[in-house]
Amino acid sequence: MDDIKIVLTPKQKAGSWLGSFGLIAILLIIFGFFSLTLRGTYFNWGNIKNMVSFSSYVGIGAIGMTFCIMTGNFDISIGSMLALAGVLGASAALKLGGIVGVIVTIVVAALLGLLNGLFVTKLKIPAFITTLGMLFIFRALAYIYTNNNPQYITDRFWIFLGNGSFLGLPFPIFIMGLCYLIAFFMLRKAPFGRYILAVGTNSRAASLSGINVENVKILVFTLIGVFVGVSAVLNGSMLGAANPGMMGDGYEFQVITAVVLGGTALAGGSGSLGGTLLAALIVVFLKTGMSNAQVNSYWQQVATGVVLIVAVSLNKLKFWLLGQAQ
Amino acid sequence: MKKYLRISVFAVLILALVVTFAIAGCKTGTESVKATAKTMKAADVTIGFSVWTMEFTFFQNVEKGVKDACAALGFKYTMLDQKSDATQMVQDMNTLVNQKVSGIVSTPVDPGAMGPAVQKARDAGIPVVCADIGKSGPVNALIVSDNFKGGGLAAEFLANLFPDPAATIFGLGNCKPQWTYARQRGEGFKAKADELTYNIQSDIIVQNPSAEGGYDTMQQMMSAAPDIKGAFFVSGREAVGAANYVKSQNKDIKIVGYNGDPEEFIAIRDGILSATILQQPYVIGYKAVETLKEILVDGKSYENVEIPAEVKLVTPENLDQIAKEVMDSTGNSAFGE
Repeated sequence: MDDIKIVLTPKQKAGSWLGSFGLIAILLIIFGFFSLTLRGTYFNWGNIKNMVSFSSYVGIGAIGMTFCIMTGNFDISIGSMLALAGVLGASAALKLGGIVGVIVTIVVAALLGLLNGLFVTKLKIPAFITTLGMLFIFRALAYIYTNNNPQYITDRFWIFLGNGSFLGLPFPIFIMGLCYLIAFFMLRKAPFGRYILAVGTNSRAASLSGINVENVKILVFTLIGVFVGVSAVLNGSMLGAANPGMMGDGYEFQVITAVVLGGTALAGGSGSLGGTLLAALIVVFLKTGMSNAQVNSYWQQVATGVVLIVAVSLNKLKFWLLGQAQ
Repeated sequence: MKKYLRISVFAVLILALVVTFAIAGCKTGTESVKATAKTMKAADVTIGFSVWTMEFTFFQNVEKGVKDACAALGFKYTMLDQKSDATQMVQDMNTLVNQKVSGIVSTPVDPGAMGPAVQKARDAGIPVVCADIGKSGPVNALIVSDNFKGGGLAAEFLANLFPDPAATIFGLGNCKPQWTYARQRGEGFKAKADELTYNIQSDIIVQNPSAEGGYDTMQQMMSAAPDIKGAFFVSGREAVGAANYVKSQNKDIKIVGYNGDPEEFIAIRDGILSATILQQPYVIGYKAVETLKEILVDGKSYENVEIPAEVKLVTPENLDQIAKEVMDSTGNSAFGE
């Protein structure tokens, strides 16, 4: 059978271009604007490395959230999850060393994610309600375990993960790159990726086609935990402490913003890891630029909201130009 | 199957490489700080100020002190707002290091979490002075109010209002443990109350550091200790919130705050709040820059030095005089009538 060649109209080509390069264009516009207005304080190699490095905090956590939202679910407990895993890992590091502490952090976060997954699938409690309850429980447990005291991180290995550099680049960039590489293979090359999209598009149809929907959801929630655990490791390293009250405060909002800005549909069924990564960079580049320009913090919030609306509108425009054809 | 096995092995190998590089990349030996470069000319000095948040009057006054000191000494000045976010705090410190400022003043939102960032600054030869709140890592100096003494002043004030210790119960609205220097206010209050044999029956951490948090905490305090006569809140906003709760219950409980924010002055004038302990954020900010001047221009050495700033008791009797003094020094009209 001959290959089918798809011919796009000019309108559809514009939509395709927008889908591929829209976020890159936004990032370049933000970077260009602040580079021109702030000159050397923004447009310097040290600042660029700093911004990309700090985007790893939200960028890595957003990987798991991208998967979750693609299945049509939500997890708003990730900030508290990050705090609880962070304090437990930091506490373990004090007694057993940094490598053990890092492993404990990631494993604890994965188990907390697994717990969320089990509540959502086995007890059939909606994800929003489950994770809303866990948001309070995880944070409270972090307070109780530490008696409200920060757990300091001094282990050299752990400190290096968030503060060290290799080949002239901050180490978090390599960790973020590795996480996105693994996630890309899971989403695009492994059957798991197709299952996520199928469950998000129509879970009933996915179930009828032989996909174990419950197992997919459990695995997705567990993966959220894994990536949040990695973020907790980097965040703890950068701060040199795991503070039960402040660690991960507002994290869920930042991560969901990055995922939505990156083009993942809240209804599920579609999403883009590349978009998520670009969105995480956009948020950090924008915040840093406004901060360096000493823009009032209230206007910064306005600007962030405007960028989010513009990006989501561009995503809608993309689908309109494509005529809903994908 | 083979394909996924290959991918899994590939991922594990990459992970092993990452761990190896991380371990190899760790520096050995003891931590050290780079000695600050030789003295500079004032015109070449740029001070970077990393502020907790510009939403609160206290930090606005610290910023004014820093800015005025820079202007008086001929330094250049730049400011970054942490927006009450610890991760932003660390990023801002790194940004200032990348901007190659000469010295950094910081009011850290989470002092315990600034260690690695301070180390980076010191490794780059940039001295760091913290203006209030607290410190961690190899800072050169911390300018901070004499919080322990301030807490003691609050206890003495309440004790003077209730001369019979046996018949008097006090409460304490404390702050979270990571603000170790602010915690000294509560410790000073408790130490003086113990010395004067007063009983503190309720000691509660205000989880939400705001007027709403103070309001809720006072509600809990009055439930736990219905016969309470007075309470000390280690932060002014919370004290005003607590005082408003007391007023809503038509009770006569004396509330003392700490900071000396404009809303506290208004509350004292209105008879809702009994007193407050005034900090001098403008002086703290100014002194922080003066300390950096001694390091950068005069070549003096400071390592982990704590420099106390005076605090004052503000009551209805001396309120107007102190308000005028604050307005004259900061230009902040919020302290006016």
